[in-house]
Amino acid sequence: MPGLLIKNAFVIDPLSGVKGEVMDIAIRDGKIVEDVPSGAEIIDVRGCLTLPGGIDSHSHVCGTKVNFGRYMSPEDMRAGRTARKGVMHVTSGYSVPTTFGNSYRYSTMGYTTILEGAMAPLEARHTHEEFTATPHQDMLANTLFDGNWSIMDAVREKDVKRAAAVVAWTLAAVKGFAIKLTNPGGTEAWGWGGDMSSVHDTVPNFDVSPAEIISTMIKANELLNLPHSVHLHCNNLGVPGNYRTTLNTIGLAPDLNKERQSLYLTHVQFHSYGGTTWRDICSKSEDITMAINSRPHVVMDMGQIMFGRTTTMTADGPMEFKLYKLHHNKWSNHDVELETGSGIIPVYYSRKSLVNCVMWAIGLELALLTKNPWQCLLSTDSPNGAPFVKYPEIIALLMSRKFRENERKMIDQRTEHFVPLFAIDRELDWYEIAVMTRAGQAKALGLTRIGKGYLSPGAEADVAIYPIKPGEIDPSVDYQQVVAGFSRTLHTIKRGRVVARDGEVVVEGANSTIWSRAHVPPEYDMGKDPEFIKKFEQYYTVRMNNYPVQDVYLPRGIRIETEASL
Amino acid sequence: MRVILKTRPRAKPKIPIEAEEIIPQNFLRRNDIRVFEGNKERALDDLFFITTEGPAVSPDQVEVILTGDTGVIKRVGEYMNAGRIIVEGDIGMHCGNFMSAGEILIRGNADAWLGREMRGGRILCEGNAGHYCAAGYRGEKRGMRGGTVEVKGNAGDFTAEYLSGGEVTIHGNCGDLPGVEMRGGTLVIGGDCSRPCGNMTGGTCMVFGQAHQFLPTFRKNGIEDTVYAGKHCRMNAFRGDVANRGKGTLLVRM
Repeated sequence: MPGLLIKNAFVIDPLSGVKGEVMDIAIRDGKIVEDVPSGAEIIDVRGCLTLPGGIDSHSHVCGTKVNFGRYMSPEDMRAGRTARKGVMHVTSGYSVPTTFGNSYRYSTMGYTTILEGAMAPLEARHTHEEFTATPHQDMLANTLFDGNWSIMDAVREKDVKRAAAVVAWTLAAVKGFAIKLTNPGGTEAWGWGGDMSSVHDTVPNFDVSPAEIISTMIKANELLNLPHSVHLHCNNLGVPGNYRTTLNTIGLAPDLNKERQSLYLTHVQFHSYGGTTWRDICSKSEDITMAINSRPHVVMDMGQIMFGRTTTMTADGPMEFKLYKLHHNKWSNHDVELETGSGIIPVYYSRKSLVNCVMWAIGLELALLTKNPWQCLLSTDSPNGAPFVKYPEIIALLMSRKFRENERKMIDQRTEHFVPLFAIDRELDWYEIAVMTRAGQAKALGLTRIGKGYLSPGAEADVAIYPIKPGEIDPSVDYQQVVAGFSRTLHTIKRGRVVARDGEVVVEGANSTIWSRAHVPPEYDMGKDPEFIKKFEQYYTVRMNNYPVQDVYLPRGIRIETEASL
Repeated sequence: MRVILKTRPRAKPKIPIEAEEIIPQNFLRRNDIRVFEGNKERALDDLFFITTEGPAVSPDQVEVILTGDTGVIKRVGEYMNAGRIIVEGDIGMHCGNFMSAGEILIRGNADAWLGREMRGGRILCEGNAGHYCAAGYRGEKRGMRGGTVEVKGNAGDFTAEYLSGGEVTIHGNCGDLPGVEMRGGTLVIGGDCSRPCGNMTGGTCMVFGQAHQFLPTFRKNGIEDTVYAGKHCRMNAFRGDVANRGKGTLLVRM
């Protein structure tokens, strides 16, 4: 293979400190190299914006819950259908597309790596099977530990090392990437019809509080030296006045890691509400961002909502029940034994709804008020806030005050009394967008160690080239061009191969699944721990031997190995 | 203008034809109408003998007449907004999907999903209609929103499911669960049916025959008089479905 040379690329590569230089990128054997021999294929991009491949640090694209969203919404599957074409399979679905639909649409937007936000350990096989059918992106799975009985037992006994050992065993068994806590304790309480209304509530039958679970898991995560931090969906999602819970949670995070954050808060938009009821809901993004700005060891993602039809799906069962009571539409509720739960309902975010308009404003405010773009990443918690295909619009909203003012005219006129958005002049630049869509994610997820998120020699050759010439357009005025540009790459290059060109997918693709394996001393091997085995055989409906996901489910697994400090 | 489409004999006559492009407005200017036979795309000319008579300046003046073996043709009149379609025989599924204006007259029977999610216009079926007549398609929360559907014969199960506007009249019997999840509009059933209006939240349903397996979640609300087919009828009035905060009205002949 003589390689590939991208000429005249306008490169922004925050992790390598490149802030917009015209340069050439040489690619060989799936890696970025110093140069390639003559005879290499040349792509002259004539000064177009060239970024590392996009990374989505929180999205729901694969797994049992997503699939349930598909089959409870036949009307959604009728939307967004595309026919078979070349190497492209038939796709369908808008807010919860088929796996190939997800993969192709991400690929044409220049995304090459996706983290599935919540995988129930017991149902990991399904998730991994869908990962294999999402061929253009490398996939990672956050693994749910929010209501895990063994974890909560360890938390009650204040045994951080045992919690770490359970995490290590479970991640290795289900080939998960990182720790996800969804409404910690709340999903277990939901099994009894309850919920957690603050971080100091008590989980029924376990005598632990969400605060204890979060603190213990942050420490356990660092004991295992996992690449990513704890990935937290706070308690009280979507409840007016929940910003206090969020502030309390942020206050729990110690600074334990030099290289990355110690706590990752996801879809914070849903956790930044003031007021007491839906009638007086208001934005508390200023309080939240003030807390984030003073704590560099906490990173969040936006969880932006965009107006239109979508499907909400989360492991947070009690929250979905509250939404169901609001909408009276169809609802799915699911319990995963000894581990977690989930809920799904379809929603429509309307410009006529004041509550929805306030939610829309909060997401943007979080990004605009966070001083350091590395601390607030771009996401919609797809599909909860909006399907990921809306990312280009969000980028344009962040880059253009004029676009926000135009939107202001179309939404509920009372909105401005409840949110500070329209007083914010800040417009993000290309560099900040590059941080919020790839470099920040790579750093927060700890993926730089496997060469993701940057373009210097040695990195994985994941490159996205957009038909945007940053010198020639002013994003604050030509925001429609920004939307169009980020919606369709000129070339998306995955591991040195052009996978999508001008909005069309050109190869079949073969992705990898990235998972973490923390090596623990023999005395912490839960696979040989008599008490763990006894409880497992006593309570689970599956045998412990049948629980781990076999290697055959990960045809191209990439294992990140760490040495635990136990 | 009158367009007569007569089906050509086919080697495999059971393969369905999907003909969403057969709507009056398309015949005004276009002569490249495509239809699908199974999974093969065909020109309209390949499957029909086409005869055109007279001029037209607007789609309102276009009348499309379908004759021959029409029972396998699906989606005729989809998104139709003007003019008239006359089907001389039976018609396949999804006739009049999403139509907003105009008229469809079916001399024979209609298959399932007649007038699915229609917004306006008029459909008259002189034979029987299949299941899900004037209903919403799978997963859709709003069925028919406006217009009128009249069936001279019987209709199948789930007639007018998710009905939210307009008027549906079935002169014969209905199958199981007519008017289920109704939220507006009017459903008139001339004959018998079973389990009418489960989970209804709004609208009015009148049953002039027997309502079998009547659901227990309807509250008696007096007696009303009404007229059907020129005859005065005394009706038991019910409010419901109370299991779902329903404010619908269900009238059943005494």
